[in-house]
Amino acid sequence: MIHKTSPEIGGMGHPIKRKEDLRFIQGKGNYVDDVKLPGMVYGQMVRSPYAHARLKSINAEKAKKLPGVLAVITGEDLAKANLAWMPTLSHDKQMVLATGKVLFQSQEVAFVVAEDRYTAADAAELVEVEYEELPVLVDPHKALEPGAPLLREDREQKDNHIFHWEVGDRQATEQVFQKAPVKTSVHAFFPRCHPAPLETCGCVADFSRATGRLTIYMTSQAPHAHRTVFALVGGIPENNIRVISPDIGGGFGNKVPVYPGYVCAIVASLTLGVPVKWIETRSENLQSTGFARDYHMTAEIAADRDGKMQALRVKTLADHGAFNAAAQPTKFPAGLFSICTGSYEYPTAFCEVDGVYTNKAPGGIAYRCSFRVTEAAYLIERAVDVLALDLKMDPAELRRKNFIPPEKFPYKSSLGWTYDSGSYEPAMNIALEKIGYKELRKEQEEKRKKGELMGIGISSFTEIVGAGPAHSFDILGIKMFDSCEIRIHPTGKAMARMGTKSQGQGHETTYAQIVAQELGIPAADVTIEEGDTDTAPYGLGTYASRSTPTSGAATAVAARKIRDKAKKIAAYLLECNENDLEWEPGKFFVKGSPSTAKTIQEIAFAAYTNIPPGLEAGLEAVDYYDPPNLTFPFGTYVCVVDIDKGTGEVKVRRFIAVDDCGNIINPMIVEGQIHGGLTEGLAIAFMQQIDYDESGNIQGGSFQDYLLPTAVETPHWETDKTCTPSPHHPFGAKGVGESPNVGSPAAFVNAVVDALSHLGVKHIDMPITPWKVWNVLKEKGVA
Amino acid sequence: MALKIEKTFTVQEPIERVWALLSDPRKVATCVPGAQITEQVDEKTYKGAIKVKVGPSVTDYTGEVQIVHLDAQNHEIEILGKGQDVRGRGSASMKLTGNLRALPDGGTEVASVSEINVVGILAQMGSRVITEVSNIMFGEFVKNFQAKLQQPSDAPDGQATAAEAAPVNATKLAWEAAKGLFHGKS
Repeated sequence: MIHKTSPEIGGMGHPIKRKEDLRFIQGKGNYVDDVKLPGMVYGQMVRSPYAHARLKSINAEKAKKLPGVLAVITGEDLAKANLAWMPTLSHDKQMVLATGKVLFQSQEVAFVVAEDRYTAADAAELVEVEYEELPVLVDPHKALEPGAPLLREDREQKDNHIFHWEVGDRQATEQVFQKAPVKTSVHAFFPRCHPAPLETCGCVADFSRATGRLTIYMTSQAPHAHRTVFALVGGIPENNIRVISPDIGGGFGNKVPVYPGYVCAIVASLTLGVPVKWIETRSENLQSTGFARDYHMTAEIAADRDGKMQALRVKTLADHGAFNAAAQPTKFPAGLFSICTGSYEYPTAFCEVDGVYTNKAPGGIAYRCSFRVTEAAYLIERAVDVLALDLKMDPAELRRKNFIPPEKFPYKSSLGWTYDSGSYEPAMNIALEKIGYKELRKEQEEKRKKGELMGIGISSFTEIVGAGPAHSFDILGIKMFDSCEIRIHPTGKAMARMGTKSQGQGHETTYAQIVAQELGIPAADVTIEEGDTDTAPYGLGTYASRSTPTSGAATAVAARKIRDKAKKIAAYLLECNENDLEWEPGKFFVKGSPSTAKTIQEIAFAAYTNIPPGLEAGLEAVDYYDPPNLTFPFGTYVCVVDIDKGTGEVKVRRFIAVDDCGNIINPMIVEGQIHGGLTEGLAIAFMQQIDYDESGNIQGGSFQDYLLPTAVETPHWETDKTCTPSPHHPFGAKGVGESPNVGSPAAFVNAVVDALSHLGVKHIDMPITPWKVWNVLKEKGVA
Repeated sequence: MALKIEKTFTVQEPIERVWALLSDPRKVATCVPGAQITEQVDEKTYKGAIKVKVGPSVTDYTGEVQIVHLDAQNHEIEILGKGQDVRGRGSASMKLTGNLRALPDGGTEVASVSEINVVGILAQMGSRVITEVSNIMFGEFVKNFQAKLQQPSDAPDGQATAAEAAPVNATKLAWEAAKGLFHGKS
């Protein structure tokens, strides 16, 4: 069990206030756009208005003549340096600046550099580009039809198919389906959405001709990985590249890929020898950077008449846009989508995914989700509800009947994952009890008699996070370990650096709490630094809820290495045998004599001033942690909605989130993460979509059409928890940042469908706008 | 983005007089806010330009206007217009079908069907905005068209276009569009 430290030490479990907030609430954060260097100039992208067009000519003469303009870079210019294309994180390549043709609206066509931002923006408008329009593909189903226009002429494969990926036992699943008495299916489209972090992407590239060093301040969730990519693509020696991710204003996966703007700013700085800043506008961020989802999914469940599930079959068409720029582990083209068996025991299952190209922005990224886990959780939780409808069973009962029982953990799923730990029923019981499930069902019955619409939605999701074990997980060959280096100063204060990078998660607080827990040094005395590749140990960065499972684990292990050395020093100072010492957070004492003790601060001082013979000076350690498995957080969310028959408006009356993320580092931060994730889930379920019209024009390219939830739209969130520690993690934690975004969309949609199920409604695709609901009501003769 | 807009309006002028105006793209162009005919290519083809301002977005289309079908007997005309923005911000095309009917009171009913396809930055505004913008432009067009009909037929035209070719007032457009979105609630 976790030893509870005093509030002064502030180890695990203490809801201490976030250390980073001191500067944030004073407006003293330091974001990329706050970086101002002497002689800095500005870049602006020229973007394609067409979704698919031949590039006939680019005339930059007028732009170049505008006073203050320093350069206009085109794809042809980059091609001379072999930089017109760059590799993506998914074995594909993508254009940096277009050559030959453009493949999506808002694609990068030229990069204008000027002395100030306004001149750069004006000059971008003066760049004359001649296009010849080509037939546009926006429907991924049509992309696979024979005779469909070929989008990627650069590939050897002359069609729009990117990959086919399958897992499970097709034949065994087929056999079960042939005999099963009950078969249910649902087609669920998870629309293209976008993380829309409050801070858009950007960088300042600063190449010094004097030193040959390139410093890049950038909005990066993975600074080390990006340094390596720049070294490999640009041919710059890696020791001469320094990537600095300063404060990041939200990432959610959007800041994992390398974008053309970064590369152009670097090229411009190398060419001009001055720092070049490039910052996206809001629309540029929404229209061209990593989108998420866009999965057209079908789930079929085979079951007994009494609701025991026998098999699951999933078929998905994945729309990746113009380039396969999905940011995910290399061996997993559909991410960890095969977690789609969810919280349920399926004797057999089969899952297949086909990826296709369309004339849309490239992606997709794992928006607050561990690589397609949100899609998977949504699909299975929707499908289970449809099965409940078909069987006329209570959806809670159906789940209860099929949950993987606690005694079967570690549980090997039929699609190959080994779930580390789980206990699903208690979380659901708490959620149902708190919301008053039985009473709500009675109320619903009464309301239906009066013609009023209310619904209750349940989602009992299981996540898979913390990628990941080196044997299966890598990005471009780099294994997905992560790291921590801790240095204890002579006065007993500490500095720790990690390979991850906080974007608002509160790492400066939670990592300090891990050090406090393991070494008894007060969290207030531990400074955490991330994001500077010159100082931090190598790591793959923060996404996929991996910081706690990987760097958090590395922090504990590094601290334990320090503790081992501290023990030797304590034995020397106390003139006793190491084996006679006992530890409690903050000090070693002689067994049976608690007052004969040395505090960690005294030991630290001795490490520099009174070094035991045979020991090295100093007190520091580094750990590169390769997790033995992933972690599997879970929970049950219950949502109650009321629907206005006149307007189709859905009001979330109550929402209860019961999460189990194992042992908790900081309960306040966990709660904050859950509130944030639920709010994003609400937006996805009801408000957001990056849609395209038939000509490939983006219909969600600004905040006019892509809506962000404000306090007005956001209901009151109620949270609770159970605790099932991860057996393989050094302190039993699992990771939590993504659970609410993974688990909540199904709860919202299930609630709406539940409200309308007596009218024969089985499914409604997100986003569930009032217009969509009103149309359903009208069709059913209710509105 | 494809839109189909059907509009019918009446004018208090005899059909032949209306037809004389409607069947001459040079004259009709002077009624379209922000539009002008710059050159006649052949009997049925003209070069022209139109400037559309929506909020901060200015689109300057240049292209061709072609009379695809002209039936003086039945007073039917079909015009195809295609243009690209001069700064490569997108393209637009429009197929306009116009049809005249004499009314018993001596006036004329003008029925039109416009099929518009917009690609590019302007299309990102969404069909709600574009439809409203089209409605407002059409309203301006009808006003100009009626005013033109009331002018003596020998009044100079063609070269008068430059003065009349000012684009639609952007602020007004945006405001009208916004009002339209809220269905007059504002």
